[in-house]
Amino acid sequence: MEKHLDRVMDDVLSNPGVTSCVFVDHQGLCLGARGKASTECAGIIGAIADQAAKLEPQHKSPIIVFENDTRACIIQRNGTITGAIFKNI
Amino acid sequence: MDRIPGQIGYLLLNEDGAVISSSGDLENDEKSADIVMGLITLTSQIDPDALPNHEGFKKLSIKYEGHSYIICLSNRKIHIVKKLNSVDGAALSV
Repeated sequence: MEKHLDRVMDDVLSNPGVTSCVFVDHQGLCLGARGKASTECAGIIGAIADQAAKLEPQHKSPIIVFENDTRACIIQRNGTITGAIFKNI
Repeated sequence: MDRIPGQIGYLLLNEDGAVISSSGDLENDEKSADIVMGLITLTSQIDPDALPNHEGFKKLSIKYEGHSYIICLSNRKIHIVKKLNSVDGAALSV
């Protein structure tokens, strides 16, 4: 599984503008991180995905996008895994 | 806010999370207001390594299949708009 996740993270990072990515399990523990992001933000990313899912629990997990003028952070939960991508825009 | 294309509800909160005004799907929706306040509190702790110079975020979007919530802070108030996604799937700009 680790090898597969490593490959996915490399794929994500090869996209234009992507500076880093973090993957988190359902407990908020870090599964992997690439780029500038630190593994310490894993818990926060899991908590943000949990909190946003409470908004409409009857729907599928939403895509959460934080933006400022130059950067964006995109978070989505899929099953038990939550992914976060930091990118320049 | 009533004139935003595709808007189906909005909430205006003060800095403490109290509802100042609301309409449509979000009328008097204090539960959603609480959830959004929780999200904004968490946002301040997002990774400082990935975001240098302590820069914060200006806009938060929560995108579901058919609709989105767009949240931003302006004039010490939190504006939350619930809107339908445009036909081609891309969210309309606020």
